[in-house]
Amino acid sequence: MARHLSSLRPVYVVGVGWHRYQPPSETPYVALGLKAVRDALADARLEWPAVESTYVATARLGMACGRPMLRHLGALGRPLVHIENASASGSAAFRLACTEVAAGLSDVVLAVGVDKVSDRLRASSQIGLQSLTGSAIVPATHYALLMSEYAQRHKVRPEDIALVAVKNHRNGARNENAQRRKERTLEEVLGGKRVSGTLTSLQCTPIGEGAAAVIVASEDGVKRYGIDASRTIRVVASAANSEMVGHDENRDAAITQAAMAAAFAEAQIAPSDLDVVELHDAFTIEEIEYAEATGICQPGRFIPMLEEGAFDIGGKCAISPSGGLIAMGHPIGPTGLGQIGEITLQLRGEAGARQQPHARTGLAHMVGVGAVCYVHILQRV
Amino acid sequence: MTSAERHPLFVATGTEQVPDRPALVGGRCTCGHVFFPMQTYGCEKCGRYGGHLETTPLAGRGRLIAFAQVHLHARPEPKVPFTVVAVALDDGPIIRALLNPPVDPELRHGDVMVAEIVSVPREVGTRPTLRLTRNATGGR
Repeated sequence: MARHLSSLRPVYVVGVGWHRYQPPSETPYVALGLKAVRDALADARLEWPAVESTYVATARLGMACGRPMLRHLGALGRPLVHIENASASGSAAFRLACTEVAAGLSDVVLAVGVDKVSDRLRASSQIGLQSLTGSAIVPATHYALLMSEYAQRHKVRPEDIALVAVKNHRNGARNENAQRRKERTLEEVLGGKRVSGTLTSLQCTPIGEGAAAVIVASEDGVKRYGIDASRTIRVVASAANSEMVGHDENRDAAITQAAMAAAFAEAQIAPSDLDVVELHDAFTIEEIEYAEATGICQPGRFIPMLEEGAFDIGGKCAISPSGGLIAMGHPIGPTGLGQIGEITLQLRGEAGARQQPHARTGLAHMVGVGAVCYVHILQRV
Repeated sequence: MTSAERHPLFVATGTEQVPDRPALVGGRCTCGHVFFPMQTYGCEKCGRYGGHLETTPLAGRGRLIAFAQVHLHARPEPKVPFTVVAVALDDGPIIRALLNPPVDPELRHGDVMVAEIVSVPREVGTRPTLRLTRNATGGR
């Protein structure tokens, strides 16, 4: 009988670090990744030789980027593997790192995401089948179509949906690792460049680069290295799935709903228990669709609750306190790991100006094109 | 469209239900699952493949469920502005296609949409492609 991650050895997040997400630059990816790993090691008060195994999440750097980066920490002969799972690459690497610790194969494992912008082709353009639209539908248009359908179904206006961006830019302005660090008024969000449908550029994640690193450890690892147990955050659920037949139009919300339900069952909590959540909000409409799919609110209720402040920092459940993909950014490989880092800071009470008060339970969610979905629930012990 | 240029995604001949509109080349599995476009790699519902999957024409008509006018596009084609539509075909599958004309201010959710073959320029000459258009005679 297969078992949940949470029924195996307990797994704890013990260190998190970033290289700031930023617009494309000349900085080599090696420098981005090393900054994040060294910060995560320092955060855990660990030395590199403690790390027994590494998962490197990247979607755009190409084959074998890990060794040329990790060697500069000391080439100790430890195993490493590269994980590509589109936007969810970092989330997939985190799940695998947790699995390795939970299974008892290692006591201290690193997951690091690093990426730079490239124009690498997606495999979906090479499947040997034609489509009616060719390359005409980019992600912004995919989500603009979902926005069109949602707006019709729930009778909401473009300016209602844009409020998600106002909140997330406000949160990002308080995050030193965010790519966009500027508060925006509703007028600024709506008045920006029109992209597709009713989406404007400030409602879309920016193109960028960066790195994020997370170190996980078993109880044995925590004891062996004298890690401060009061700062460890337990991983209480890990769920993953992929697209199901019959959900042609809104596949991302459908798999989100299924993965969320599995994660809540594993953690034995309800959506109302969540204090802080990071969602895959590459486009404003996504935060709305996924929050409703999660059960944080009923279908069609997100916008009224947003207007009441329920999803602000200090509200019932802070959503995307990091700024989310819209403001913090979405360098792809790092993003899912950056979410775990943000939830960890929040649950430790170390999130500074964007701290959700009394946060005990947090959730991180990513989807990746394909589509795949990951949900992790973390808890302060 | 000449027979030499037979397009894998559509045919000029309509179906019995919608004879005056080009049909889309869909597929049907022996399990009953209907899909677009036709392929023989395998059925998404049951995994049967090859000869279990047969070509079936899908009527070139459906209902508009979503649309988005594209304002910014990194590639030179299609030229902006153009509109992408999501349409639930009468025969089941939901498809996405480009709208003809590229911008239609009268477009509304629930509109009846029909297929039409248009010629678009290529490096030499033109090529036929399938677009969806609001059915001027159909109701909402």
